[in-house]
Amino acid sequence: MKINKLYVSAIVMILLMLGFTYIAVGMDSKSAGGDIVNDLAILGAIVIFSATIIVAIKYVRQMQTDKATGKLAEDNWDGIGEYENELPIGWSIIFLGTIVWAFWYMLFGYPVNAYSQIGEYNKDVKISNAKFEKKYTNLTKTQLTNMGESIFIVDCAACHGLAADGLNGTAANLNKRIQVKSVEYVIEHGSDNHLSAHELATGMPVMSAGLTKKQIHTVAEYVSNGFDKSNKAGAKIFASTCASCHGADGYGTPYVAPNIHTFTPTLVAHIVGHGKHGGIGVMPAFKNLNPVQLKAVATYVTAISKGE
Amino acid sequence: MFHWLEKHPFLFAVGVFVVIAFAGLVEVLPNFAQASQPIIGTKPYTILEYAGRQVYIHQDCNACHSQLIRPFKSSTERYGHYSLSGEYAYDRPFLWGSERTGPDLHRVADYRTIDWNEKHMINPEALVPGSIMPKYPWLYKDPTDINTAYATQVAAAEFFHVPYNVPIPLKNGKTTIIPLAPNLAAAHAMALKEAKAIVDQGSDKTLQEDVAHGKIPQIVALLAYLNQLK
Ligand code: HEC
Ligand code: HEC
Repeated sequence: MKINKLYVSAIVMILLMLGFTYIAVGMDSKSAGGDIVNDLAILGAIVIFSATIIVAIKYVRQMQTDKATGKLAEDNWDGIGEYENELPIGWSIIFLGTIVWAFWYMLFGYPVNAYSQIGEYNKDVKISNAKFEKKYTNLTKTQLTNMGESIFIVDCAACHGLAADGLNGTAANLNKRIQVKSVEYVIEHGSDNHLSAHELATGMPVMSAGLTKKQIHTVAEYVSNGFDKSNKAGAKIFASTCASCHGADGYGTPYVAPNIHTFTPTLVAHIVGHGKHGGIGVMPAFKNLNPVQLKAVATYVTAISKGE
Repeated sequence: MFHWLEKHPFLFAVGVFVVIAFAGLVEVLPNFAQASQPIIGTKPYTILEYAGRQVYIHQDCNACHSQLIRPFKSSTERYGHYSLSGEYAYDRPFLWGSERTGPDLHRVADYRTIDWNEKHMINPEALVPGSIMPKYPWLYKDPTDINTAYATQVAAAEFFHVPYNVPIPLKNGKTTIIPLAPNLAAAHAMALKEAKAIVDQGSDKTLQEDVAHGKIPQIVALLAYLNQLK
């Protein structure tokens, strides 16, 4: 009778668990039956439940019938004793193995393979840089301009505006090479932004000596309006005071003075990478752009400054 | 041998706690002590920056802006180098924030200027079309609380030994000294001097006049604070 009761309760338990499983899974009609993974899960559940119960029954029966023999240990706790059995061989192997593993882990396993967030970040950066290089090495001019436009919207538009008009004097208007205000400022204050993009190049000295305010304004208008030939007075002042460094048409002289007639990608890239301060204000340097991105945004700005 | 321990469960529990906690202390504390040291280039707040920090907290900027750049390529590409714990050494409390309704601000001074912030705070939409950031016109009128800022600064120096009046190493190998005013009147004078340098870099004529007349609107302090976030 005893054994029957055990088996009966085991069968009841298995059925109960299967019932719960069915309810848990079957409530959602889409998950049961539709996907093989669910069927496999249910199968697995049945196997695990059954195995658990069969093993439990085995030990319960053993406890009911077993008569222990052997030498009792000296220690006993409230009458509960312990046999002095041999260590099971499998257990001993695992125990010693764990000790060996612990030393390996302490000395090599952890130090060599340790996870670090920054390590993962560095790896990530490397991978993404490699991907970038592979994808964007030989760009056509259109691709470069498109990339430049997106960079401009993200990094530059906040100051220069989406239309690159400088947002009412917040930053330079990039639809032309330079504004009257900026030219006047440079003549009156000089400039040391390393625009000549050469280590040895010095800045521009203050050039207002010998020029009246009106003359400064005239030559500034001449430069700002794209070397406007109709501005005879301006052209004259430029030829006598500025051309020695900037060249007859303001296209610049290598190592001496930058191009002030048009933007070139090199000039813009240099400004973006180093920042600039002048008559309008201060522009921070953008160190986060890689060379391709720098070239892209510079190409884009050069294009819009020419009205392309 | 340890029977007596088993007979005193409370003592036993305490013993277990101490043994396990000791391992924790050995693992955590030295690293923590090292990481919380200011890194080279991290400076204590000046009087005006402290006042600006109070404005930042008072206006709950940290409810929408975080100050913690995480080490992800996407984050560092946008905001700059990931944040290091030593950079917060003088922040009590730090303003990491947990919400990015707006962008992170931990290095905002690397890519925004005083002039830009001055124009932005009064009307964000004028510079960033579609921006949902509110306008803060009252900051351009309400006076800065220099007294509290000075009290905070003195407390930081006295209780937390924040290094004022001593050379602080900078990234470029030079050093700088952040002064702590000897008394309240000197603190006010110092704040005003700082304020002048700030508004001179902006273009708002009204603010420049205010400072020339000895007033420091809250925005000036906030600009000083934002300008050192880098
Ligand atoms: C001694 C040589 C020299 C003379 C003369 C000179 N410049 Fe320059 N100019 C420079 C140099 C060098 C730079 C680059 C400055 C820098 O690196 O910031 C420059 C830059 C400029 C810029 C560009 C500023 C900017 O913000 O992009 C303008 C405009 C300019 N000069 C106009 C003039 C005008 C107008 C004159 C005549 C009144 C003049 N320059 C005379 C050397 C000269
Ligand atoms: C924080 C605001 C700000 C941001 C962001 C900004 N600029 Fe500027 N930029 C300025 C200011 C202000 C000037 C004018 C500096 C002066 O007074 O000459 C300027 C000037 C320039 C100039 C030089 C104009 C000249 O006449 O020499 C170029 C080119 C330029 N920016 C390109 C860019 C590009 C490209 C980006 C994006 C990567 C960018 N800027 C982002 C504020 C900004």
